[in-house]
Amino acid sequence: MAVKLTKPEMINQQVGWCGGCGHGIIQRLIAECCEELGIVEKTVQVVDIACAYWSIDTLNCDGIAGPHGRCAAVATGIKKVRPDANVYVHAGDGCSYVIGLSETCFAAQRNVPITMIVVNNGIFGMTGGQMCLATTLVGDKTASSKKGRDDRVAGQPFDMLNIISQYPIAYAARGALYDPQHINETKKMIKKGFENQRDEKGFSIIEVLSPCPTNWKMTPADSMRKLKEENEKIFPVKVYTETKDDNISTKIRSKDP
Amino acid sequence: MAKTKATSDVSLCKGCGLCVGACPVQAIEPLKEINKKGYEIIGINEESCIGCGRCYTICPDYVFTISTVD
Repeated sequence: MAVKLTKPEMINQQVGWCGGCGHGIIQRLIAECCEELGIVEKTVQVVDIACAYWSIDTLNCDGIAGPHGRCAAVATGIKKVRPDANVYVHAGDGCSYVIGLSETCFAAQRNVPITMIVVNNGIFGMTGGQMCLATTLVGDKTASSKKGRDDRVAGQPFDMLNIISQYPIAYAARGALYDPQHINETKKMIKKGFENQRDEKGFSIIEVLSPCPTNWKMTPADSMRKLKEENEKIFPVKVYTETKDDNISTKIRSKDP
Repeated sequence: MAKTKATSDVSLCKGCGLCVGACPVQAIEPLKEINKKGYEIIGINEESCIGCGRCYTICPDYVFTISTVD
């Protein structure tokens, strides 16, 4: 009896995420990609102070929890002093698109060769389900928009990858978790992000549409359906930009005096 | 050709039921039993399981293991 698929060895304990949370799937995809590429030993994870924080206890690699929203800046610093390390950011949408918008944009503008994995669940999960200005859909009821998000007061959600892909970065893509086929595609995107970093191609950002059944107040199956029917209309699942040139970041660096 | 089957470690299960919807042959069913943590667990019907691995892919809590059976 030979085992074909089982829990990655990089994961050493179970995490206390809610049942049906997408973070668990994303963390497993990260662990699988690291093991398949053989880069577990030199991986440094940078996690956010939010639901993503739990993976620092779980993954058997080096890690640091950046200040809330400043994960891209912390990862930039680690990459500058340890250029051989595989540095990735696992953060939520509040960290990357609201509080830490400038850090994300400037990491992209410098084209630092790090991998950023952003979990788009359309809500501030850990603080109790408040509205996220960047990703909550119009009409969604949250703790801070009891009657549903009103676009005359809070504006429309916006597609950050459209903006970030205007910078000279290596890779920007969005995956989703609502069925096994899309999960496998998301895994390929994360793997591509790690390969870009290994080949020094530049900044990679992968956004993942993920459910939050607890704060959406739905069953896990219904929240997956909402992802597919509502969130994917606003946040299309596709590759936004992909560089064909090799070693863009080294070229930029070699221009420096 | 060796067959593949799914096995489960239900002590890790959190009862979300995503695997029930993902299974293409309805081999996974929700049970009324609860595990040590107090979540309602699932059971696999080994007769109808085809070992495709979709349950492993969608499970957030590493409950499933897919292995070949001789």
